[in-house]
Amino acid sequence: MIIVNGRNKLEWVEGMTVQDVMDKMGYDYSLITVTVNNEIVSEDEYDSYKVADASDVKAIHLCHGG
Amino acid sequence: MSSKIKITINNKEIEVKKDSFLLDALRELKIPVPTLCDHKDLTPTGSCRFCLVEIESRGKKKCVTSCNYPVRNEIVVHTNSDRIKKHRKMLAEMYLGRYPNVKVIKEIAMVCGVTESRFKSEITDENPNACVLCGHCVRACHEFTQEDILDFAGRGINRHMTMPFGEVDRHCIGCTSCAHVCPTGAIEIIDDLNHPNDPDMIKNGGMEINAEMATLDKDQCRMREVGTANIVDVMNAYDLLPVRNYRFGCDDETPNIGSKTLKAKYITQKVNDACWKGCSMACAKAVDNFLLRTGPYAGDRVLVDGPEYETAAGAANMGCFDSDFLMEYNFYCDTYGVDTISFATTMAFVMESFEAGQITVKHTGGMELNFGAIDESLELLHQMSRGEGFGKEVGNGIRWLQNKWIKEYGADEKFLMDIGMQVKGLEVSEYVSKESIAQQAGYAMANKGPQHDEAWLIFMDMVNNELPTDEAKAEALYYFPMWRTWFGLHGLCKLPWNDVVPTSNKDEKNTAKVLGHVRNYFRLFEGMTGKTLDEKGMLAQSERVYNLQRVMNILLGFGERKDDIMPYRGVGPVTVVEYESRKERYDTNLKEVIGIDPEGKSIEEKMKIIREYRENAYSNLMDVVYRRKGWTKNGTPTPEHLKKLGIDLPEILKIVEERISTEK
Repeated sequence: MIIVNGRNKLEWVEGMTVQDVMDKMGYDYSLITVTVNNEIVSEDEYDSYKVADASDVKAIHLCHGG
Repeated sequence: MSSKIKITINNKEIEVKKDSFLLDALRELKIPVPTLCDHKDLTPTGSCRFCLVEIESRGKKKCVTSCNYPVRNEIVVHTNSDRIKKHRKMLAEMYLGRYPNVKVIKEIAMVCGVTESRFKSEITDENPNACVLCGHCVRACHEFTQEDILDFAGRGINRHMTMPFGEVDRHCIGCTSCAHVCPTGAIEIIDDLNHPNDPDMIKNGGMEINAEMATLDKDQCRMREVGTANIVDVMNAYDLLPVRNYRFGCDDETPNIGSKTLKAKYITQKVNDACWKGCSMACAKAVDNFLLRTGPYAGDRVLVDGPEYETAAGAANMGCFDSDFLMEYNFYCDTYGVDTISFATTMAFVMESFEAGQITVKHTGGMELNFGAIDESLELLHQMSRGEGFGKEVGNGIRWLQNKWIKEYGADEKFLMDIGMQVKGLEVSEYVSKESIAQQAGYAMANKGPQHDEAWLIFMDMVNNELPTDEAKAEALYYFPMWRTWFGLHGLCKLPWNDVVPTSNKDEKNTAKVLGHVRNYFRLFEGMTGKTLDEKGMLAQSERVYNLQRVMNILLGFGERKDDIMPYRGVGPVTVVEYESRKERYDTNLKEVIGIDPEGKSIEEKMKIIREYRENAYSNLMDVVYRRKGWTKNGTPTPEHLKKLGIDLPEILKIVEERISTEK
């Protein structure tokens, strides 16, 4: 089990990447900063960065707009 | 999908991103390569040829300009072969022969091992500030501000940089981008308008934003491409787009009014929004040759300014997922001077009231005003402009309609007050705030009424969970309204603050504040006024005005606790259909947040429990926010607080003291 944004529980699966977490959460916004256990993950690494079980994932959405 | 490619440079192996430019890899390995036309914020062109390197690809050797060579397969690179060294030397001699006194040319020549040139001729330019045709200015004009005033003219030795027809173009807005990127001083700014204290400080700050717009916007908010209409797609995806009077947060028909449709079918111009012609964001858009169907200009082809997010989202709120309707109501609102938000939110209220039987055709002048009533909505807009019929009544806004229908038609007061999305008499803008208590407060506690630009906290609160306590929410509800007030105080646009975000923002402690840009605004302030500014100073400036606004609210009769509360439609489900549309969310909310098992309870019972819980939670939050702002429990600034801010003028103190005396 991993926790996203301190609140949402996601079932962990072997080989899970940051991109998998984003897809499962439906996060496709363009201004997101992702950290896994407080370590920043760049967008280039979303599909290669493996998320370990029990990780604390944060996907911080910045606001924008008029 | 990212993919990495292994390349070998001067016998060293390095992994680079596919399609990244070779020069970036050379720089990462700290391999010196001379460059003249390259600029970190501009698209590489390879025109100066200094960055030439030799590559071996699939058994073939060739020379390429590294600045604009995208790496797509495994290659072997030589940056210092005899062939390359010979080429650079010859090039340096030619440049030095033409521009013998230009500092940057002399420096590059030195790197290439050249101090004297064999080539001197009639085209030798002795000017130390000569234009060396690097093209920085041309690209800056195109990429930073999208003005395209500067370009090259002539061929061969006659090639030169110019404005159209060699004349000073009146379309040049004097943004100074060209001078900023010029490496030789060939372009000189001779008049710093408005006499700022430190012109360079302002230019540097401005150029930072220009460069970010040119390089980052296309992958971030696409403000240049579609403007704020990009938010329609985002809000629909996150269940936050107001649909049919804020009952729902998304709809299958949203793509009809989304940014892709607008771009493909309508947007013909990228223009400034009448604020500043040189804006590098140019978020406003325009639609040429739109054929009007109704109203006094029916049959005419017109230019429509927009649409912005709020206008497009307003169409969803009226259940009118029709892009031609969106253009037409946008045009006529602009033409008549009607605010699109107020029109759309009021119409959404009218439509729900009609469908719920609170009003009938008897009250609407015979019009069937169901959601999606496109023709009827436009007709009401025209009536409004003529001051006739039911349209005139709609033009008075939700609060006026609520009063009239309750008093004169015997409509259900509780229902109309719950679904009428207005606070302090102003219609709510186009975001669904139901699942974010901080956003409800951001809307309802705004002095000017429920406009989202004081504190847009939905993502921080609902998605990111960054405001877990009332104290954290209150801090955000203090800081962001003050920061937004500061823009207004100085006549500065808010969009360059967070509609493009620097890549370094990820490393900031508080990403939501976009502190890199906050510091940039402070530098602009200092560059203009000569006074330094920090967060404390900014808050002090804003808080004085903000508290004066609150005193004005009190004078005008909208400055009490009861005036800072959202209609329940903005807080939770008013109707069963809303509960059912988010049943899983509300049931989980009952179980995990409120601690009540939803099993066996009717929807009405569950709605009642959620309502009590959310209204109590909001009331508690109000107490904490008022305390943070230095106000009483009724939302009145205390005399002590006004004294601290230095605005304890006798006439102001009289107003708050009178109010406080009635509160005890």
